[in-house]
Amino acid sequence: MKKKRLLFLATLVASTALALTGCGSSGTDESKSSSSKDDGKLMKVTIYDDLANYQGTAKGWFAKIVKDKFNIEMNIVAPNVAGGGSTLFDTRSAAGNLGDIIITGAGGGRGQKLVKAGLISDMTPYLKDMKYIKKYKGATDSLNNVIGQKSGVWGVPDSVSSESPLSSSEGTEPTFGPYLRWDYYKKVGYPKIATLEDLIPVLKEMQTEARKENPGKKIYALSLFKDWDGNMMNNAKQPTCFYGYDELGFVLAKANGSSYQDITQSNGEYVRALKFFNKADQEGLVDPESSTQNYDTMYAKYQAGDALFSFWPWLGQAAYNTTAHKEAGQGFMIAPIKDMKIFSYGSTTNGTQTFIALGSKAKNKQRLVKFINWLYSPEGVSASGAQTGGTSGPKGLTWKIKDGKPVLTDFGKKVFLQGGATVPKKWGTGSYTDGVSPLNYPAVIANDINPETKYSYSYTLWPSVLSETRTKLDTDWSNHMSNASTTMDYLEKNDKILVAPGASYVAPEESSEISSLRGQIKTQIVNTSWKMVMAKSDSQFNSLLKEMQTTVKGLDYAKVLKFDMKNAKDQNKARVKIKKEYSGKDK
Amino acid sequence: MQEVATNNQKSNKKKHDAHSQKEKRGKKLFLLIVPFVILVLLFSYYPLFGWVYAFFDYQPPIPLNQSPFVGLKWFEMMVQNSTQLHQIGQVLANTFAMSFLNILTSFLPVLFAIGLNEIRNKHFKNLIQTLTTLPNFISWVLVYSIAFAMFSSSGMVNELLRNFNWISEPIKWLDSDSHTWLKMLLWSLWKGLGWGSIMYLAAISGIDPELYEAGRVDGANRLQLIRHITIPALMPTYFVMLMLAVSNFLSNGMDQYFVFQNAFNLQHIQVLDLYVYNVGMGNNSLSLATALSMLKSLVSVVLLFVVNWTSKKTRGESII
Repeated sequence: MKKKRLLFLATLVASTALALTGCGSSGTDESKSSSSKDDGKLMKVTIYDDLANYQGTAKGWFAKIVKDKFNIEMNIVAPNVAGGGSTLFDTRSAAGNLGDIIITGAGGGRGQKLVKAGLISDMTPYLKDMKYIKKYKGATDSLNNVIGQKSGVWGVPDSVSSESPLSSSEGTEPTFGPYLRWDYYKKVGYPKIATLEDLIPVLKEMQTEARKENPGKKIYALSLFKDWDGNMMNNAKQPTCFYGYDELGFVLAKANGSSYQDITQSNGEYVRALKFFNKADQEGLVDPESSTQNYDTMYAKYQAGDALFSFWPWLGQAAYNTTAHKEAGQGFMIAPIKDMKIFSYGSTTNGTQTFIALGSKAKNKQRLVKFINWLYSPEGVSASGAQTGGTSGPKGLTWKIKDGKPVLTDFGKKVFLQGGATVPKKWGTGSYTDGVSPLNYPAVIANDINPETKYSYSYTLWPSVLSETRTKLDTDWSNHMSNASTTMDYLEKNDKILVAPGASYVAPEESSEISSLRGQIKTQIVNTSWKMVMAKSDSQFNSLLKEMQTTVKGLDYAKVLKFDMKNAKDQNKARVKIKKEYSGKDK
Repeated sequence: MQEVATNNQKSNKKKHDAHSQKEKRGKKLFLLIVPFVILVLLFSYYPLFGWVYAFFDYQPPIPLNQSPFVGLKWFEMMVQNSTQLHQIGQVLANTFAMSFLNILTSFLPVLFAIGLNEIRNKHFKNLIQTLTTLPNFISWVLVYSIAFAMFSSSGMVNELLRNFNWISEPIKWLDSDSHTWLKMLLWSLWKGLGWGSIMYLAAISGIDPELYEAGRVDGANRLQLIRHITIPALMPTYFVMLMLAVSNFLSNGMDQYFVFQNAFNLQHIQVLDLYVYNVGMGNNSLSLATALSMLKSLVSVVLLFVVNWTSKKTRGESII
């Protein structure tokens, strides 16, 4: 009897041990991998990239440049494509190897965790001759502050800038703004828009007009989507940006620090935006597919001209404003809402909270650091940049120097102004747009001045391009917008923009209790927001609002709000500080 | 004296021999079940080790051994206030309601099998059986894309109704919270009805044809044959299936609800498994999700005792 029991125990122990071996052994064997010598052979580099919208091996002209220069083949791991929120980050990082190069956010304590868990390594030993990484020492030091390191270079933040933090980091178009289909706005007689709510009758007229012109087409003034919902319904946050607010957790903070709103407060900007959408929905202006479609489906509708209002230039204009449309006077342009004051991100000297880092398990680290260094060089910045950022592309392909000034080549004009082209053989295969950097990583802000040309990295700001892009649409718009040359010009001249000084503020780590509560609360807020937008009557809207307020209160909303409120105020302190530093004189 | 002693020794030895032989055979037999013991340990007991995560503040990538121990914090959080309790209550209500509806409708496959059996045309019968069994092999993700193509606000059904001018506004089949439980039941019935009837078809073909002949000789019509022969013969199978369904009461699947969930119906579609997933993976609170999932085991144990108690009261013997 005893022996049997022993045998049983033995099997139990053996099987448990067997099962456990799979879990352990993820300790640090860093020294082993990095000590081997770089033989210069083709190297497949896994890049974990929170910004990427493409997953798999990179192809096209950018990939070819990287391969020719560094003999590196980029394999992108993209949570945006994989879906499932932070699941990919969690599983990969728990397995002990996130990637050879890592692009992720430092906020919410993630940067600290990466260091603590030994997933990223200090680049210091590889920094000899890496002048571009060293150039942004202020940025790398400010990242160290965030992740709690006294020294070393643990990563380089993105969107670093040499411009004044008090000037907008955006080019000719802001990040946010009420963009209307200008051709229909023209057709209904350029009605005056005093405030956000006045858009509804205007949009209604425009929708009627558009449907009359395109019978059988399902045109709606507004088309929404839910992919980017976070702490709140993403789409409903956008109108608050027209009035100078941006989100931080459950708080809407005004760019100049003059106001902080709890998003659930009944008289706040967020609820106002929800009310705006609901009113529009009751008027039949909202696409009924809004609650089920994703970004891609919605984008296709903008391309087809089935939506008439866009919160962002990089949605409406990117999708619809082709040269052909613009020549015909059609396209999205910013609407003159009289009381708007659009939120704009100031140039971030020390970058944002997203950074690029070296994976601890990577091989040939020296080569990888060289690659990262290149991304911050004038050549690298021109060639990469974000997908929508408007950097000029590689010199020789899309642009050249003529009389000491940068101008687009014929190929560049085709690509940027006329809707795309296939790259010449010498530069690789495929179309230009398919071949842009899949990293989607703006190392330096596109507005920054390229030290080699003395003009900005963004071709949209070159004098040669500005004079060339005036179409029928631009002229008509300009005539009705006090002869402004660009959107930015209009906003600045009419004092309709509010620049948030570009301080590199990163929210501190939140306790897991707060993040658990936040998880439950945001589910409530996001879901109820959608229900409120689709509410059949004002009374239903109000009762849903009340229900949301009571539920989140029960879920200890006050605790999370207090945390967010403190962060929002700290963010403003950082902004005030950097403002003082740069405008030195005014004390 | 000495003789007696040796005799005793001998018999002892004999006994011992027999004993060791028996033991050997026992060992051999035990070895036969070892693989299964290992499997059970691996898949049923070893995962329980994961419960320790409920007592730590686990945030990947920090490994568990560096995570702070928090004791019962997560459990306290679950019951901290009435809103939390209400949420868990709603989730349990959803789980129970949908499981209960499934059990309530578990007689439908029986009726379907009987009906199918009565079809005389063999080709037609085979066609029906194939068509109804097929949905079982379609994953829920695909079922949802079918549902979306048909019932979304610009889907087939809405377009059809609009073209007939019967409605002006699209009917929100998917993104509304009306009759969520019932809709889910209908989807799972559509998917599982044909497959569920297979067991009963097999049972029907096992019924002694002599019984039917005798019935017919006695002048019974078709309905009477069904009523007095087929149904009673199917009952044992039905009760076995029912027992299995009851034991699966809490695990009523999560993929169906996962694909059908959206902002509008979440309140009534969120079953326990889905809730655990949403909290753990969606909201990134793995420790809290672990604590929540332990609730499932707790409820299961309570259910087991309740059933056992009922069984003892009604039949006089316990199940365990």
